[in-house]
Amino acid sequence: MEGEMLKGHLDMIVLAALSAGPAHGYAIIEEIKRTSAGAFDLPEGTVYPVLHRLEQAGLLSGRWVTADSRRRRRVYSLTKRGQRELGEQRAVWEQFAEAIGKLFKGRRACQNPS
Amino acid sequence: MSEPVIVAAYVERLARALEFDPALARRVRREVEDHLWEAVSAHPSQDRLEAERRAVANFGDPQSVAAQFAAVSLARQARTVGLGAIMVIAAVFVAMRARLVWYAVMAWPAGPMGSLGAIVLSIDRYAFWLALFVGIAGVTYIAGRPIPAALTPEYRAQLRRFHLVCLAATGALIVSIICDGVLTSLRVSGAPRSPGALVPLVSMAIEVVCAGGLVVSIRSMAKRSRHLRSAA
Repeated sequence: MEGEMLKGHLDMIVLAALSAGPAHGYAIIEEIKRTSAGAFDLPEGTVYPVLHRLEQAGLLSGRWVTADSRRRRRVYSLTKRGQRELGEQRAVWEQFAEAIGKLFKGRRACQNPS
Repeated sequence: MSEPVIVAAYVERLARALEFDPALARRVRREVEDHLWEAVSAHPSQDRLEAERRAVANFGDPQSVAAQFAAVSLARQARTVGLGAIMVIAAVFVAMRARLVWYAVMAWPAGPMGSLGAIVLSIDRYAFWLALFVGIAGVTYIAGRPIPAALTPEYRAQLRRFHLVCLAATGALIVSIICDGVLTSLRVSGAPRSPGALVPLVSMAIEVVCAGGLVVSIRSMAKRSRHLRSAA
């Protein structure tokens, strides 16, 4: 998928990846790659500023934990506000995708009137 | 085993690009370091240097990543400055009221106020309320802007506007505090010398320190903004 198009929806993608439960940055990126079957292939570094921004906006909460590797890592989870925001974004997206889908179906019918 | 030079150098570059915000730089360093080592250990290659190179390449250009963090940092600082401005204005108000209550309780003589005192008092009131309304307008303005993914020209313009509004509110507050100082000195000079005179002076000192703190935080925001502009 086009980088710019992807960046425009990165907030929603990150929120959706966290809807499965709390995770740290690396796990979130892996989850995004896995569920999108590699379609969302962004520079990994772009996800961390998004996590900070969403935390700043109160949509995520973060806490430091010590991993098995003994390194400190920040684990993020959706806040109540984040869950509401994700629900709203999902509804808007589904409406949009449905409308675009209808548009393309209509176009195919016009191009192939038989 | 090879030295972990590539990851360390990358994290160092990223942290250096964020040195304008030491707390953010420390946090990003820790978080990104963990990510990169996780990526290195997940890499199928036995070649450690190659795994590090791949992890760093997948993470992206450190300057570009730093610029995205900078937008979040600047937005956070602007909001903090806005809320700080409102708190400072509230503190100045409390100090003013406390001084007036003290005068009333101690039956402090009014002093040689005259027409100069009346003019200064009205300037004081108008300046204070102007500071409060402009400050609230500034906070409402910046809190209503979404935090951008990057420092876009549009967000820079919004920050510039907010900076001007903060300067206007602080200017009005300083005028109000100067008027308070004039009124307090008129009142204290007209009364017999006593230790009680320290109370209005201390309340004045609190106002001056609060305004000073606000000026310092606005300057720091402007400095960070300039630094990021020149780095971009």
